[in-house]
Amino acid sequence: MNPLELLWAALATAGFAVLFHLRPRDLPLAVVGASLGWWIFSAVRAAGDPAIGYFAAAAAIGFLSELGALVFKKPAFLYMVCSILPLVPGSGMYNTMLQSVRGDFPGSLAIGFSTLQAAGAIAAGLAVSSALARLVSLAAAARRRSVEPPPGPQIGPGSGRGFEDDSGGDARRSGWISAK
Amino acid sequence: MPEPNPEDVLLLASDAARLVLASGAETYRAEETAQAFCSALGGVEAECYATPTGVLLSFFGPDGRSRSIVRRIKGRSMNLERIAGIHALTRDLYAGRAEFHQAAAGLDALERLSGYPAAVTLAGAAAAAGFFTLLYGGAWNDALVAAPVGALLSRLTRILSRHGISDFFTNITGGALAALACLAAGLAGWASGPDTAIIGSIMLLVPGVAITSAIRDTIAGDLVAGVARGADAFISAAGISIGAGAAFGLWRLAGLGAL
Repeated sequence: MNPLELLWAALATAGFAVLFHLRPRDLPLAVVGASLGWWIFSAVRAAGDPAIGYFAAAAAIGFLSELGALVFKKPAFLYMVCSILPLVPGSGMYNTMLQSVRGDFPGSLAIGFSTLQAAGAIAAGLAVSSALARLVSLAAAARRRSVEPPPGPQIGPGSGRGFEDDSGGDARRSGWISAK
Repeated sequence: MPEPNPEDVLLLASDAARLVLASGAETYRAEETAQAFCSALGGVEAECYATPTGVLLSFFGPDGRSRSIVRRIKGRSMNLERIAGIHALTRDLYAGRAEFHQAAAGLDALERLSGYPAAVTLAGAAAAAGFFTLLYGGAWNDALVAAPVGALLSRLTRILSRHGISDFFTNITGGALAALACLAAGLAGWASGPDTAIIGSIMLLVPGVAITSAIRDTIAGDLVAGVARGADAFISAAGISIGAGAAFGLWRLAGLGAL
């Protein structure tokens, strides 16, 4: 792989991040994730399997984004959606439709299936990393609860059925807040 | 602290969910945002059902009576600043650091975010188009052609969507414009590979993120939302290809070279 490609991936992602209204202070992590993802993808693709390359790159991007989410207290989605930009099969979607507009249906189907394979592999990679992040934050929340009982959400008086009747709901909610 | 009026809570929570979806976030994020808003503000058993085109939300107020609302979502465009802002607002509300009025004011401010100035947006579009051309194996001169075409595309789509033209026709126009401009640059000898320049500049329109989000939603169990997003992605791709295909056809008819 041409090492310059890492730079192109980073700069293209930075340009796109502006269109996605990403604030400048979140830009560095998104750009690093894009380069990392492209590097992993290129390495695995060179070894022979683009689908596994998409999956591995997306999983790595997902982990990095979840880590950034923990550190910066922002949704991982911010970093993830920018970092996967060089990988997402946009040109595949275009080519699928272009072949069918031109009347080449077998070609359209072939490109279409490889496009869906790429998108599926990326989505699966991201799902693996966010599932893991959710598990980790749930475990952390459960441990916090067992050590010292937190005050719990103070909803004013008269809130009727309240939160008491769904135990576990609290851990789920704090997991939700810190997972993303 | 006086308990906020349940009707106001309903409106605020559904507004938050609508804004999350209109900013391009995942469906479950919108649903969980609405539920968190309702629970933090005194609602019980909040249920939210969101798809890319609308939100349904209902909960029981302190008086035990149920309230529900339907919100329709018309346009969608990625706005990560808004998603981050609503996330912070939800955390504050849930941790008790913000009350109803602060949340309402915060949401209002997020709705009216100005974003980057037009010049920065244009530069971003040009950079994205140019560097994607290089990444996909284009030469320097191809990237230099793709960059201004990309900037033009982002301008054009913004103007057309502001005037209420549907996404489908915006994509047809964008695809045709990108293809014609890059083919003309190739004819003039500025671009060595018009195909890579077209792909690079069209990256600004193609639904790569949309098809990935569609599959992510489906994996997360939001089946209806996932299928709807997938349909959206295929229709945008179809629009771009119809535009580009028409441009290629015109080019051939005019006898300027086969493609």
